[in-house]
Amino acid sequence: MLAICKEVKILSVDVGNYLLYVDRVTKFFGYGLLGLRKFKALDEVSLSLPLQEPRLFVLIGETGSGKTTLLRIILRMIEPDMGSVYYKSKNVFKLRSSEVKWYRREVQAIFQDPYETFNPLRTIDSYLFDVSKYLLSIGKKEAEALVDETLRFVGLSLDRVKGKRIREFSGGELQRISIARAILTRPSLLLADEPVSMLDASLRVNILNIFKDVRDKLKTSVIYVTHDLATAYYVGDEMAVLYRGVLVESGSIEYVYNDPLHPYTQLLLNSILEPDINIKDRVKPIKLSSIEIKEFLTPGCKFANRCPYVTPKCNKEAPPLIRVNGKRAVRCWLYTTSSNT
Amino acid sequence: MPEKHLEKDAILKVVNVDGGYVIRYGGRPVKFIHAVDNVSLELYPNRIVGIAGESGCGKSTLAKIIYGAIEPPLEVKQGSVLLKVSEEYEDLLKADRAYVAKEIWWKVISYIPQNSMNVLNPMKKIRDSFIETFKFHGMAVDKKEVTKYISEVFSTFGVPVDAINAYPHQLSGGMRQRIVISLSLLFDPKIVLADEPTTAVDVVTQLGILTSLKEWQREKKSSMIIVSHDMGVHAYMDDEVVIMYAGNIVERGEAEDVFNDPLHPYTKILISSLIKKGEKTIKKGIAGSPPDLSNPPPGCRFHPRCPFAMDICRREKPPSIEVEKSRFVACWLYAKR
Ligand SMILES: Nc1ncnc2c1ncn2[C@@H]1O[C@H](COP(=O)(O)OP(=O)(O)O)[C@@H](O)[C@H]1O
Ligand code: SF4
Ligand code: SF4
Ligand SMILES: [Mg+2]
Repeated sequence: MLAICKEVKILSVDVGNYLLYVDRVTKFFGYGLLGLRKFKALDEVSLSLPLQEPRLFVLIGETGSGKTTLLRIILRMIEPDMGSVYYKSKNVFKLRSSEVKWYRREVQAIFQDPYETFNPLRTIDSYLFDVSKYLLSIGKKEAEALVDETLRFVGLSLDRVKGKRIREFSGGELQRISIARAILTRPSLLLADEPVSMLDASLRVNILNIFKDVRDKLKTSVIYVTHDLATAYYVGDEMAVLYRGVLVESGSIEYVYNDPLHPYTQLLLNSILEPDINIKDRVKPIKLSSIEIKEFLTPGCKFANRCPYVTPKCNKEAPPLIRVNGKRAVRCWLYTTSSNT
Repeated sequence: MPEKHLEKDAILKVVNVDGGYVIRYGGRPVKFIHAVDNVSLELYPNRIVGIAGESGCGKSTLAKIIYGAIEPPLEVKQGSVLLKVSEEYEDLLKADRAYVAKEIWWKVISYIPQNSMNVLNPMKKIRDSFIETFKFHGMAVDKKEVTKYISEVFSTFGVPVDAINAYPHQLSGGMRQRIVISLSLLFDPKIVLADEPTTAVDVVTQLGILTSLKEWQREKKSSMIIVSHDMGVHAYMDDEVVIMYAGNIVERGEAEDVFNDPLHPYTKILISSLIKKGEKTIKKGIAGSPPDLSNPPPGCRFHPRCPFAMDICRREKPPSIEVEKSRFVACWLYAKR
């Protein structure tokens, strides 16, 4: 029960200091044949972005770990069952109708598959002009200038794009256009869900470089969702690791990446296959486990089934989120001492 | 005979293969997507050869041709796939299909297709898929033996033994993929051809699967062809690597040489754009995109994106040049003229 006292302390936080404050968000989904049984797709996930300085925040996790669900909650596409999301001090699930449009201008998103974002029958530029019309309510001349400037920011131009349809672009170009559309409103927060996982390696870094520009030149914070740790480190300032719906570790990327504390983060980092032939023997092979819904349902640590350091306590009781050095947090019994529990 | 020049102990020789997709409209061919253009390679015993290249460059098409799984709209225009079967080379592209299906597939060469999670029969329990495969190949089926084999190979690949009683739709994509991999090793084939074997799984599972495949290969001294767009997979698995671009093999050689000292301009840019663990310095990717394979550029297919393109590159296809023993590059920069 100490764990709960711990969490209560967080509540006293002044959300006014944050651009985004996700507070103990929990979401249940059904499973099984009829979906009657429930599991926690997100289990009291908290994270925050500061107001003063744009950050590139990486959310890491494997398929099904809850990354996309969390993004959809931040985008107000689904409501959490418990917990809240504050954006610039406002509870995003209690926005007044006049604030909804403001929120859509402020928080924008791009998704994994550029081919699903655009309708093949429409011209690509019409998407950008729609945004300027509905969200920015600006005139044609002004819109054209803005669209062109924004497309140039991502390495294209209105001339290149005008009147063309999806099949006339490569996946990399479409992803640039998705970014242009998302930053047209000059949002303060951009959510990017696996934006480069469908792209080839040689195109990937170009897109990732755009995210760095978005942070540095537009001063927009980015939440970059991925399962790819190498690109995470390349772009990220901070990172959080999700495992089976639980945030197991978070903090400055330098700390988490170079000195992972949670056994799962350690396993993840050890599993990266590097495109580097000279270290292939350094990869430590691991045994495969059969992962099942069971891990979502355990009352204890969700990683206990695979953890080399598991103790009986881990199976019974979920570990609390433990703050280390004020700069990072880890959810694992190994790091509890009398002073911080 | 062109095979004469090749090492005699190769177990598989792909010779000047040309193939692609014939798109028909009202029964008439209107378009040819030339996905594999004059490709040759050899596979030796106890070796892992990787086929690398970005999506759409023809890797999967080449894999289908090597396996002899040629179905419309795929057509092979020329070339041969010579497989060594008891001291003789047989051309899989010319051999009788029924014979190949019964005697060659699974037993000599097995194939893990891309999106293999979708190949299991949806109407059958996993156990029955296994038994059917045994039966088709004329093996006596002993229920106990099957169960024993299955639990062994399943535990290697982290599949719970109960999965045997499940229907495919009850299992996750990653789990089905691992089951298909287990099936492919059933008869200890001499060659395993795996097309993107780890696309549906997370990084931890990916490493586990690849490690098990590699251990299996080393133990059996079989050979393997790994098709993947992921250079991390190749760095971990390959003895030798083949780089494809727009339907051509642009470079091949020992994996170590290709990674450490790429020769072809495309390989150079590809390798330098890869993000390694713990890297933060700004990198540059490659500009432009690969050509439309139904209308590829003349000469070198890479010339519109190549920083070194010369006049001859725009006119004439570069030959495959053996710069060192078993180290090939197809680029005019290396031609002695
Ligand atoms: N069934 C098909 N019909 C028509 N074109 C195809 C088919 N399958 C693949 N192609 C085309 O052939 C080319 C090579 O594809 P593929 O061999 O799948 O490449 P890779 O495996 O390297 O991604 C691409 O242009 C692709 O669009
Ligand atoms: S709480 Fe226990 S089982 Fe969970 S990661 Fe820590 S040591 Fe491992
Ligand atoms: S042949 Fe010419 S265009 Fe092609 S890769 Fe070599 S230098 Fe570049
Ligand atoms: Mg493929």
